[in-house]
Amino acid sequence: MTRWRAALSPSNCALLGAAALLALAPFVLPVYATTLATEALILGLFAMSLDLMVGYARLISFGHAAAYGLGAYACGYVLLHTALPMLGAIAAATLFAGVLAIGIAWVCTIATGVSFSMLTLAFAQLLYAVAFRWTSVTGASDGLAGIPRRPGPFGLALFDSRTGFYYLVLFCLAAGFLFCRALVSSPFGAVLRGIRENEAKTKALGYDTRRYKIAVVAIAYALGGLAGALYAPFAGFANTELLFWLLSGQVLIMVIVGGAGTLVGPILGAAFFLLASQILSAYTDSWALFFGLLFIAFVLFAPEGIWGLLTSRLVRPKARAATPDAAA
Amino acid sequence: MATEGRLTRRTVLGATATAVATPWLWRRAFAAEPIKIGMPTALTGALASVGQQQKRGAQYFAKLQNAKGGLIGRPIELLIEDTAGDPATCVRKAREMVERDKVRIFLGGMTLSSEALAIVPKLAAWNAIFMSSDDGDGRLTASDFVPNFFRANTSGPMDTRTVALWMRASPLKRFYGIGMDYAWGHDSVNSFEKLVKSEKRDFVGSVFSPIGTKDFSSYILKIREAKPDAVFIVMQGDDYVAFLTQAHEYRLSPKVQMLTSIVDLASTRAVGAAAQGLAGSTRYCYSYDIPANKKFVAMWQKAHGGALPDVFEGEEWQACEILAAGIAKAGSIEPAKLRPALETVAINSIKGHVAMRACDHQAVQQGFMVRVVEKPGASEPALDVIAVYPAAEVTPPCRKETYPD
Repeated sequence: MTRWRAALSPSNCALLGAAALLALAPFVLPVYATTLATEALILGLFAMSLDLMVGYARLISFGHAAAYGLGAYACGYVLLHTALPMLGAIAAATLFAGVLAIGIAWVCTIATGVSFSMLTLAFAQLLYAVAFRWTSVTGASDGLAGIPRRPGPFGLALFDSRTGFYYLVLFCLAAGFLFCRALVSSPFGAVLRGIRENEAKTKALGYDTRRYKIAVVAIAYALGGLAGALYAPFAGFANTELLFWLLSGQVLIMVIVGGAGTLVGPILGAAFFLLASQILSAYTDSWALFFGLLFIAFVLFAPEGIWGLLTSRLVRPKARAATPDAAA
Repeated sequence: MATEGRLTRRTVLGATATAVATPWLWRRAFAAEPIKIGMPTALTGALASVGQQQKRGAQYFAKLQNAKGGLIGRPIELLIEDTAGDPATCVRKAREMVERDKVRIFLGGMTLSSEALAIVPKLAAWNAIFMSSDDGDGRLTASDFVPNFFRANTSGPMDTRTVALWMRASPLKRFYGIGMDYAWGHDSVNSFEKLVKSEKRDFVGSVFSPIGTKDFSSYILKIREAKPDAVFIVMQGDDYVAFLTQAHEYRLSPKVQMLTSIVDLASTRAVGAAAQGLAGSTRYCYSYDIPANKKFVAMWQKAHGGALPDVFEGEEWQACEILAAGIAKAGSIEPAKLRPALETVAINSIKGHVAMRACDHQAVQQGFMVRVVEKPGASEPALDVIAVYPAAEVTPPCRKETYPD
């Protein structure tokens, strides 16, 4: 009985509603908007993966583009040089990013705080430099172009079309979200929050915090890699910009603007980022300036991000009614 | 109190968003029946100066053409959007132009070759024609050729070829190469090395500097020790300016001939007096002395407050002329009709006679060699055309990046 009630909580209903809206979107939206929405969902998955680290374990990464780029290059390379179908290539690239991340995380977690952030940045720049030079594999500054959406297995061509690909991305995002939500509400998530609030205390309780941190970085990289792996066949190419620090900064902005530590927030943040830059840049060459002002406004006036703004409007009136004293 | 503050903020944010979005939506929805030409262009970022030149060139052409009643009775509408030189943004903007605005023609724009290489595989699915105005990568008309791509501009291999033709007649014997340390630098220096050797001259060494190098003294020392007659430079942006300036300070450049593949006004202006004596090929030069070009330069200067048209403004103009001639010939912008029309376009442009060829869609055109000279009384260095090579010698064989001789 209580389980049912919990499953039908307002936040769950809202999420189900959002999922239903997103599922209907291709039937309502014009084609270009569907394409833009696909990209927004991919970026949403990417931002959400970073939120696992930033929002739950306070592991601020300045190099999360590494995950995205790894996934994109791996998926692109597999699709260009093997006969593996797209779904297989995406799965392989996800795994590749996750496994490589264990090594990266092992080194990065030697440090904490700003040093951790700088190490993540260093690794991302290292990968960027490798991609820039390893012409035979990465195509150097030209990148990999003409990446196909190969059907299969068994001739399954469901996801090759614009709409089909949209649903594939939506499915990955939904699955990724449910996985992350289960993860952060599990005992594992509790330890992550412990690390966020007071790592020394968590250690004193007997948890090997470094191992937890390595695990969460690997999961975040795998999910970020999945986003990158979806991007490669979506755009049809992968290039060094996908590993560049600029993207690492942008995804961090998406998380902060959306609301860190909420999983949903960063998805909204990514959509907002993409739409705002798209609309502003159609208007003025100095669009980055206006976007910067928007970002400053968010940090100053809405530190809980877009999700914080939304929930404070939806949830607070009720809370206020329940405790009239607090409202007065 | 706090709630009130929040509400106001929301109202302000909402109003701003609406104000920003409304004219945009209106403009899209109620436009007439113009010829829409998509130009995703690097207006910001490292190659912004090139992108801005492309934008100015195309806008000036569209303005004059529209004043004459447009093309095939329809006004030209340019959709110019910033890609920041990022292929991902370029593909997104281009795709949106196709899906939202029903664009069937792209014009360079696509400032970087990496942007063009990302776009080209999609042209068939988009049913769109792309007329390049600056993309130099040889593969675009060779291994990566697609039927909907056309190149109005001089390509990278044609730039180098022009330098080679000039070298044949020059007394210079020993050559050195310096490039930026990534694919473009290595490729260009390597192909120059092959070229020098095929001309039976000595290639005495090469060196590559990391992107963003500020101090070139050690490189200059290395070059001086090799005692070359000429140094071939493959650089752009700040690195290029820094190298030329320091080569002048260390007295390398007066003794050793500085050579490069594209000489333009913007960089020589930035280098100033140190650029004097620099020689190289160029894709368009304002001082090329033919009536069509003189007329164009005079018109351009009048419209742009006396400023001379630079390399990519001239190239953009030529690309526009070729595209316009194709559209006029086809009487349509439908790719199925426009493609065969463009394949046989030949015009007398500001660079002389230019003819598109059907086999690889490269515009066959002359090659120019220029030198930076000091003109008495002038406030900035001038470019002198020192040699012009015929189109047949400059353009590579069909679908090739290399030359038989």
